[in-house]
Amino acid sequence: MKAETSALNVELPEVLREVPLTEGPVTPGSLDDQILGVTDRKPPRKWFLAIAFTSLLATLGFGFIGYTIYTGIGAWGNNSPVFWAFDIINFVFWVGIGHAGTLISAILFLFRMRWRNAIARFAEAMTIFAVMCAGLFPLIHVGRPWLAFWLFPYPNQRALWPNFRSPLLWDVFAVSTYFSVSAMFWYLGLLPDIASMRDRTENKWRKLAYTILALGWHGSGRHWQHYEKAYLLLAGLATGLVLSVHSVVSFDFATSVVPGWHMTIFPPYFVAGAIFAGFAMVVIVLVVVRESMNLTNLITQRHLEVMNKVILGMSCLMGYSYAMEGFTAWYSQNVYLHHTFLNIIGGTYGWAGWLTMACNIFVPQLLWFKKCRTSYFWMILVATSVTIGMWFERFVIIVISLHQDFLPSAWRLYKPTLVDFGILLGSFGLFFTLVLLFARVLPVIATTEVKGILPGAQPTHGGHHE
Amino acid sequence: MSDFAVLGLFDSADALMKAIPQVKAKKLGRLEAYTPYPIHGMDEALELRRSPLGGMVLAMGILGALTALGAQYWISAIDYPIVTGGKAPWSWEAFVPIMFEVMVAFATFTAGLGMLLLLNKLPFFGHPVLNAKAMRAITRDRFALALEADPELDAEAAKAALRAAGATDLEVLPFPEKGPFLTSDFILRSLGGIFVACAVAGIGMYWAIKLVPTLIPITHMLEQPKVNAYEGSTFFADGRAMLTPVPGTVARGYLPVAAATQEEAAGLANPLPRTPEVLALGKKAFTNRCAVCHGPLANGQGSLGAAYGAKPANLQAGQFQAGGDRPVPSGPLGPPQASGAASQAKPGPGSGFPPYPDGKIYWTIVHGKNAMPSQAADLTVDERWAVVHYVRALQRAQNAKDEDLP
Amino acid sequence: MSTPATPKTPALLLGLTALGTVGVVLTGFLKGSERFWANWILWFLFLFTLALGALFLVALEHLVAARWSVPLRRVPERIATLLIPVVPLALVALGAVPVLYPGARPEALQNPLLAGKALWLGLPFFSFRTIVSLALCLLALAVFVKGSLSQDETKDPAYNIRARRFAPAFMAIFAFVVTVLAFDWISGLTPEWYSDIFGVYLFAGGFLAGLAATTLVVVRLQGKGRLAGVRPDHRFNLGGFLFAFTVFWSYIGFAQYMLMWYANLPEEIHWYRERLEHGWHGVTVALAIVHFAIPFFALVTRDAKSDPRRLRGVAMLMLGAHALDLYWLIFPVLGQGVLFSWPELSFALAFLGLGLLWVRRSLSWGEDMPVGDAFLRQGLEFRL
Repeated sequence: MKAETSALNVELPEVLREVPLTEGPVTPGSLDDQILGVTDRKPPRKWFLAIAFTSLLATLGFGFIGYTIYTGIGAWGNNSPVFWAFDIINFVFWVGIGHAGTLISAILFLFRMRWRNAIARFAEAMTIFAVMCAGLFPLIHVGRPWLAFWLFPYPNQRALWPNFRSPLLWDVFAVSTYFSVSAMFWYLGLLPDIASMRDRTENKWRKLAYTILALGWHGSGRHWQHYEKAYLLLAGLATGLVLSVHSVVSFDFATSVVPGWHMTIFPPYFVAGAIFAGFAMVVIVLVVVRESMNLTNLITQRHLEVMNKVILGMSCLMGYSYAMEGFTAWYSQNVYLHHTFLNIIGGTYGWAGWLTMACNIFVPQLLWFKKCRTSYFWMILVATSVTIGMWFERFVIIVISLHQDFLPSAWRLYKPTLVDFGILLGSFGLFFTLVLLFARVLPVIATTEVKGILPGAQPTHGGHHE
Repeated sequence: MSDFAVLGLFDSADALMKAIPQVKAKKLGRLEAYTPYPIHGMDEALELRRSPLGGMVLAMGILGALTALGAQYWISAIDYPIVTGGKAPWSWEAFVPIMFEVMVAFATFTAGLGMLLLLNKLPFFGHPVLNAKAMRAITRDRFALALEADPELDAEAAKAALRAAGATDLEVLPFPEKGPFLTSDFILRSLGGIFVACAVAGIGMYWAIKLVPTLIPITHMLEQPKVNAYEGSTFFADGRAMLTPVPGTVARGYLPVAAATQEEAAGLANPLPRTPEVLALGKKAFTNRCAVCHGPLANGQGSLGAAYGAKPANLQAGQFQAGGDRPVPSGPLGPPQASGAASQAKPGPGSGFPPYPDGKIYWTIVHGKNAMPSQAADLTVDERWAVVHYVRALQRAQNAKDEDLP
Repeated sequence: MSTPATPKTPALLLGLTALGTVGVVLTGFLKGSERFWANWILWFLFLFTLALGALFLVALEHLVAARWSVPLRRVPERIATLLIPVVPLALVALGAVPVLYPGARPEALQNPLLAGKALWLGLPFFSFRTIVSLALCLLALAVFVKGSLSQDETKDPAYNIRARRFAPAFMAIFAFVVTVLAFDWISGLTPEWYSDIFGVYLFAGGFLAGLAATTLVVVRLQGKGRLAGVRPDHRFNLGGFLFAFTVFWSYIGFAQYMLMWYANLPEEIHWYRERLEHGWHGVTVALAIVHFAIPFFALVTRDAKSDPRRLRGVAMLMLGAHALDLYWLIFPVLGQGVLFSWPELSFALAFLGLGLLWVRRSLSWGEDMPVGDAFLRQGLEFRL
């Protein structure tokens, strides 16, 4: 198969040639040494510096969270009429970032995109950490977080049930399902890799830990059969989750009658935005990982280029959504919607509207150029711009629609407090701390999956796999 | 006792797959492959039955959807039906998102846990291959074909077959030493462990449930900056949370009567006209507040009269009549009779008691008299004057003249 | 692979189409212009969205450089050529605008909700948008299909480069055209109502129809011994797409409905109330069953997705479901309950007949597989 491809490649013009998935000689053994061996070696100094910094941010964030729980939500900038602000923006932001990981590991698996194997593990881990960060926000914004368990429908002495007609409760179910499904998907994917680590480690304590975590996995053909079926089914189910979870989050807004929120396009628009923001974060982290852990032979230029193309595609989808929102604001002939739209492009927060459009639509257009898709500087610039732009998009949706809705006597401006900013930064600190820990403790690339797609890995029967 | 299995190691997936039909043909035992990653075509080569996981997941998914829908229906439409946001208790549209999520959750856990626990029987740490020398190579980059005891195994024949099929290394796996699993020691220790765990958990939870509500910030809602009854406060110098009103403080809606004594009140005129609406108001107020002592006919025969001790005034008596051309009742209600034959004649107007002005009735309502308490707090100004009208109507009704008839 | 000679067009098909055409003409004279135009719009949109969906499939393949679908690509390319007869059908359909589209009528200027956008909704601008859409579709057809057909002879990879470069532009064209169709031709029937997901909804339905048509033709050709080399693996992918987009269409349809139901705003909910009263409730339920429930459960298992008989049945059902969807979108506007009689049947016969005749003809254009495409061999070697 490889011979055919290279013969074909010689005939074809360069732009149509297929770029290989790995660079240089890669064997299953070298893969293990390169990836699994990371956990044997002492971390480099820059890792310590990085985790010190991110832990500091995370601790700061938790300090502010503690202050909020102690004092009350008044420590935040939320006030009438902007009752939802940074907290919900951060929640939607982090849940969105999680979706890229599930798309890469689940949806691309269903499409048989082999290039996903090298980055799926990392992406899934990012999903779990992002959902953990996201789950923090609904927990702390309820005012009495110690009573958060009231959200679950258990028979109680108050003879009360939660309100199943509320999208906020749908969120609780959606996000907790998403977390548990992602965790299971991630763990099952890790299982064979942990078995490899169990078998190669010399350290007694690690062997015990890996033995327990590997659950006795030994790669038997019968086990692989059920495992592959389970993985395929989980991928299909996780795909449904990607669509549904962020749609349920969008329902928080779209089921209301607030002008600018009650737009039927919100569900797919939010899902597209989530994938968009998530891929940008994955690109940033992947570039850092690729360089600092010397994985350029496994996470190749092809991987980064394809991810950037997805970012570009999503940017165009977001452009369509923005265009539809703008068109509808006029087409509806609804004075409230029209007013909200004018607030997005003008008004006190008009700068946020333009920042969003610039960061999400204009800047990513740079990715039409191959130079930008393959250069670290440009792709990190675009990815950072997208991260900022997507955070501000949620700011635009929430703050602009709320601060001036139907009743002019209730119009008021919103100002975030230091605590708001502190918690936001803290969530980034938490996320990156978890990512850094993951990179040292578990294999960042799914070695088992990559082994399966190396040339010569599968018995030859004249087949070609996408 | 035969060995458990003989392993043959191969260097590539191709070599392994080519070896399988050769070894299978010799029918020496159960075939199993151990590989670092799944090999395409392995399922067919080992003649494995289809995995039932798909059907299990579909069934559990449907069960999850029905469970979620059923639970939401029972909770929202049967157990505690409320209309929220204008939506009927059974709003299936609103139940779909959670139904979908629960369906996915059920299906996922079936897929994951079903695969691990049911189909692969993991976690299980006792499989002989885990202790094999070849294990390290298997999870790294080698492919193993095993002939397993079914139930016996001829190790030498197996080794020969595998070598003939191209195996680069061979290893014999013995059955693991198995002592009896359920010794009394083991059972006692397990039960003891479970008991200790339950006890610790129970004590811990009890302690936590008692302790946690006493912690900050949970206690913050108990400490509220309001003043409870009988609680001292530093708000005012005298320790009270509220000052007593200064003398002469007038409540809203209360207009003081410009009369210090009942005599002074005689001059007050009834501001309300004598209309059916006013009389209806008066009747209502009288029935609610006055009739219980003074009786429905205002003749002092109220239900409380006997129990009260004091005697409520008989407003039908001559002394309370308005005077003018109104007749004065005779008999015990009338003015004191002179003895003699003249007592049968009706006294003319002006004889007997002096007219009792409306203002004095009003003043009595406001301030009370003798044992009667003030009704000012319970009757508005309008109601009081309406009661006056009503009392006059009652008096007229009990002492009607022939001309009063329509 | 040489193309077998096209067999003579069966008399039955021609006869039914002719019968349908007679019925179409009679409808115009006997049943009034509103009913005539409602049917015309339904069927012209059916063919337009189906052809556009097939072209989208072709463009998608070029956009993501998919290889598995290369052997199949000629089928949606041929189906997409339906855009050519759609042009005259669309131009005739413009006659419906003054009849069925309140925004284009002079009374619109009196309506405060419509006056502000009367210029947009009026016939001149409306026609302009439709004509631009048609022109852009023909352009895309020329780039993708004409280029592919000529590549059969020239075997020049320049076509692949050109198609890959044009694919993103096509996506923009497609977004524009599908949105115009949805907003102008369908939701324009009730111009005070709006739903900004409507373009996505029509995309889902149209793409599904294009997929279904492709699947149907692939299975049929395989049954005739053509398309040798296309394996169950390829059919599985087609079945997988059908399954996935059935779920996607249902998700979009439900999301739109649930959001409008939840907010219960008078200006939005009347559109759904019309479709739940006066007999339409049954049609709505039927749509959910035929467009979601049956295809979902029929394709959920792995084997079903590659089974030719199952795929044929589900594909035909989906084409019917797409027609039902358009019927459900358009006909309530007439306000005469659930109309279904010889006019509707005639139009169905005429237009479906036309479509079938055209696609049959197109099966003789070019080879059955894009033999000039360098990636054909990789596509044939595709294994799951």
